[in-house]
Amino acid sequence: MSKKLLLEKAHVEGIRFYDVYRREGGYNSVEKTLKTLSPEAVVEEVKKSGLRGRGGAGFPTGMKWSFIAKPEGVPRHLVCNADESEPGTFKDRYLMEFLPHLLIEGLIISSYALGSNDTYIYIRGEYAWIVDILEQAIEEAKANGWLGKNILGSGFNCNIHVQRGAGAYICGEETALIESLEGKRGNPRIKPPFPAIKGLWERPTVVNNVETLAAIVPIINMGGEEYAKIGVGRSTGTKLISACGNINKPGVYEIDMTISVEEFIYSEEYCGGIANGKKLKACIPGGSSVPILPANLLLKTAKGETRYMNYESLSDGGFATGSMMGSGGFIVLDEDQCVVKHTYTLARFYHHESCGQCSPCREGTIWLDKLLYKLEHGQGKLSDIDLLWDVQRRIEGNTICPLGDAAAWPVAAAIRHFRDEFEWHVNNPQESQIKNFGLAHYADAIQPITV
Amino acid sequence: MKFNEQQIAEFNRLVARYPEGKQKSALLPVLHLAQESFGGWLSTETMNYVAELLNITPIEVYEVATFYSMYNLKPVGKHVFEVCQTGPCMINGSDNIINYIKEKLKIEIGETTPDGMFTLKTVECLGACGYAPMMQMGKFYKEHLTKEKVDNIIEECRKNAALNN
Repeated sequence: MSKKLLLEKAHVEGIRFYDVYRREGGYNSVEKTLKTLSPEAVVEEVKKSGLRGRGGAGFPTGMKWSFIAKPEGVPRHLVCNADESEPGTFKDRYLMEFLPHLLIEGLIISSYALGSNDTYIYIRGEYAWIVDILEQAIEEAKANGWLGKNILGSGFNCNIHVQRGAGAYICGEETALIESLEGKRGNPRIKPPFPAIKGLWERPTVVNNVETLAAIVPIINMGGEEYAKIGVGRSTGTKLISACGNINKPGVYEIDMTISVEEFIYSEEYCGGIANGKKLKACIPGGSSVPILPANLLLKTAKGETRYMNYESLSDGGFATGSMMGSGGFIVLDEDQCVVKHTYTLARFYHHESCGQCSPCREGTIWLDKLLYKLEHGQGKLSDIDLLWDVQRRIEGNTICPLGDAAAWPVAAAIRHFRDEFEWHVNNPQESQIKNFGLAHYADAIQPITV
Repeated sequence: MKFNEQQIAEFNRLVARYPEGKQKSALLPVLHLAQESFGGWLSTETMNYVAELLNITPIEVYEVATFYSMYNLKPVGKHVFEVCQTGPCMINGSDNIINYIKEKLKIEIGETTPDGMFTLKTVECLGACGYAPMMQMGKFYKEHLTKEKVDNIIEECRKNAALNN
């Protein structure tokens, strides 16, 4: 059984409401922080914890916090990135829906550490009902003295506001999010200046993911050093994984990053195996942007070692034979799924979501979408596969924000590992419309196990 | 066209969240409010009204309204079915659901039924991948969709409409 730090109380009845949450030990970390720790000491604890950003990039949170500029007389802001929109990812939604006070608690401590008196939660527009849940939780926290002026007599003032987005994946990128929060189109900004120097309204700003901010609570409660003992290597603490696709038990799981991918997929505690007794074909382990892996490379690295559910192990082998932890959006494909079609839906997604600011991404995602549509619908040529490869290569690294890379990587990985499936689509245009390529050799040497 | 008293109160609450002079920041939430208040879509008139309220130029409103996919720039039906079709939903049969709704309501994607009751849209990932296939309907999500579930949803909408008449 993995250690649970965030979801431990998720199933306590009424935990969404203040009274129950407080009774279960909620807000103790705020008391501890405001009564015994300086803002610098909080940053120090977070540094010691080794916590890495849970939104996808995995950047050390404590270090990010230490970059914030502190010019005299200029307000600073903390912004919570709740614009969860990476396909396969629905963990932040779960946290906010069932444990809104955990996020508020983490936000108060983090705001104190960064000196943010007005903190914003930017939530994706579609999560409309969660806005109400969060606003109610904020009201409850305020009524009980955890928000507002001079919290617990510490002299620290803090208000939290919830801002609804309106349907744009790009606003999950921190500078696009800031633009959107300023009431503009979500066009990412050129960095530098980084938000820590000039962010929201040109003020020093830190943007953190929901799960990252929630993780601050156990870090303060147990101390950074203790938190760092959980997990392995630079993958400290616990991580939420949202598992979906062809598995028996889709849902949000908290893992301590020491379990193997095989255990995660097949054990009853987590995904419960592949649905309908099918075989595993492929998996995107960290949200749609990260490289897809065929079953054999997913469960074992190219060196033949067991692959684990942590930052280092999932990226073992680089993009040639590995993938990424990403946002923890774990998408499983069984033997009946068509990788070409799946990749096409992702390319269509990125085409739809490109903000249009940089030519390589604006034009390139159209090409990816069109070429994959042709290939999937039996209208492609063999040279289209090379063209697809060429287009994705010209997007990667040539855009202001990482959406370009995010659009290129899944296409590149699909061709890298499943080229024969693409070729089969070209060579069997009619057959490919009525049946699937199947497993081929991808699952060779993989014996499904029961844990 | 004007917000009523209650809507103005909500408008004021939204604007008050930002520092003085930064009222433009309230644009996205105010557009949501305007869309809900004025028939489920944003006409040029509505957008001009929002610009006036926020003391910004109309173009600043248009460029935002056209950028974000949740703002409807054309009239829509009373109930909008926004069915997710991205990878994880596709794996779980979203194509079948979309085709079923098309057949059942006899409309294509992007169209509204002649009685103005239903609009069908396809959307990209809504963050409910574990509960696929799914769609958004107004403020809420309808998840684990099946043909039977779609039938029930449509029937319920029609029943409610009959009751309100």
